[in-house]
Amino acid sequence: MNINTVEYFVREVMHSLKRNNWMSVASIGTVAVSLFIFGMFLMLVMNMNKMVDTMESQVQIKVYLEDDFSREDAKDLEKELKQMQGVEKVTFVTKEEAMEKFKERLGDQKTLLDALDETNPLPDSFEVMVLQPEMVKTAAENIEKFEGVDSAKYGQDVMEHLFDITRLIRIFGFALMMVLALATLFIISNTIRLTVFARRKEIAIMKYVGATDWFIRWPFVLEGIVMGFLGSIIASVVLRLTYSGITAKIYDTLAFFPLIPEEPFLTYVTLIVVIGGMIMGAIGSTVSIKRFLKV
Amino acid sequence: MIHMNDVMKVYDNGAIALNHINVDIKKGEFVFLVGPSGAGKSTFIKMLFREVLPSSGILTVNGRDIIHMSNRDVPFLRRSLGVIFQDYRLLPDKTVYENIAFAMQVIEAPRRMMQRNVNNVLDIVGLRDKYKCFPNQLSGGEQQRVAIARAIVNNPAIVIADEPTGNLDPETSWGIMDIFKSINASGTTIVMATHDKTIVDAMQKRVIAIENGEIVRDEARGGYGYEH
Ligand SMILES: Nc1ncnc2c1ncn2[C@@H]1O[C@H](COP(=O)(O)OP(=O)(O)OP(=O)(O)O)[C@@H](O)[C@H]1O
Ligand SMILES: [Mg+2]
Repeated sequence: MNINTVEYFVREVMHSLKRNNWMSVASIGTVAVSLFIFGMFLMLVMNMNKMVDTMESQVQIKVYLEDDFSREDAKDLEKELKQMQGVEKVTFVTKEEAMEKFKERLGDQKTLLDALDETNPLPDSFEVMVLQPEMVKTAAENIEKFEGVDSAKYGQDVMEHLFDITRLIRIFGFALMMVLALATLFIISNTIRLTVFARRKEIAIMKYVGATDWFIRWPFVLEGIVMGFLGSIIASVVLRLTYSGITAKIYDTLAFFPLIPEEPFLTYVTLIVVIGGMIMGAIGSTVSIKRFLKV
Repeated sequence: MIHMNDVMKVYDNGAIALNHINVDIKKGEFVFLVGPSGAGKSTFIKMLFREVLPSSGILTVNGRDIIHMSNRDVPFLRRSLGVIFQDYRLLPDKTVYENIAFAMQVIEAPRRMMQRNVNNVLDIVGLRDKYKCFPNQLSGGEQQRVAIARAIVNNPAIVIADEPTGNLDPETSWGIMDIFKSINASGTTIVMATHDKTIVDAMQKRVIAIENGEIVRDEARGGYGYEH
């Protein structure tokens, strides 16, 4: 393929996009909407996966002590906990330390705590690390029976819920993405069909003067890819803005909620969306050419 | 150049358009195809550039076996031919220059060659000063000359024309025939289907007459032979 030909293809594609103005806009719009929804699901699922991962890695039981339990008694309790089966490590966290950690997590929003007027509502606690995740449940139940223990918390039930929700979102998202992909393919191939129809005379002449089938097909395939590309660029921009917006909102209200940081996450999502858009464009136009362009 | 041996064409609906066709056309010949309407002239022409596939027999064009040729080779067969139709078939949104250059563009000819060849054929058909015009700004004769220029811009060995003067008045037709003569004089083979008695009689070239799908006359220097 020489430079002359590449130039010719580029000109043909631009020409065609202009000629089918409204159909092109509709196609690009559909691609953008489909890919936006696809991207949203992708980011949602990835964030939920991350949440499940972080929680799974914390096979830790938080043991909160009753307020009137003395520090000496706590020392004895620590020894007893350490002797329990399956317990790997026990760390005592004073209520003051707990407050410090909490302030750290809040970061910029430390001022929220001003409302507490220097009182500290947090209890003393133990962090109990367990050897295996399966032991967490029984260990927590046993620990709650000790004197002076207010409650023993672990993430198990939250995790199970998360698993269920993630699975649901995955299935629903997958089904939705299939429908959107089909709709996108349909509208792209329809637009390309219009282009083929508008240029049927030109195609006939190309055949008479000896253009190869691929030379005739290329501009149409390229047009599909360009539409997919433009749609995916729009989708990516909106996705980035949306994610940044959500991240900012969540930092404002739920400072410690573990969202995946914007970079390089958004770069990956953009790449996937753009490549996906171009592939859809290529498939959509190829299908249409097969059916409507008897070269 | 063109060799037909017992060629037959039956269309899908059962119509026998050509039967028992035996023809040899040599390099540099000028051949008229004549005959009444429905005789099979257009079918004959279309087989040469494989728009229509013969049903049986042997057909070679420029040494290529038309019947056993794979679809992938058809474009390369057509690059060795120039095809001209009664209705010109120009692209309305392209200028004269662009219409002609288009034929070189789509076979990926180098650009240096493009300008030279297009200007050259514009001279041959006498339209150099109209290269910027669009087809709807030209007369029928001028449009057909653009179509001829497009057909010869890639230096084909054979020019095939199906009633090229069918839409033109006698005087304009002669202008077209003069161009064909000069193309033929440079060694290009010409096969032309026509109803134009005056032209065939005056040119005294080879005439192949077809009736009901069969060759009824093949004269080296003949006339039209029909009254209409
Ligand atoms: N695509 C087709 N399908 C079926 N029959 C066809 C087709 N094309 C042509 N025919 C038939 O084949 C026969 C020859 O047709 P053709 O077009 O070759 O005649 P022609 O000599 O060019 O006539 P004209 O002088 O009117 O152009 C006719 O009987 C016609 O009806
Ligand atoms: Mg005819």
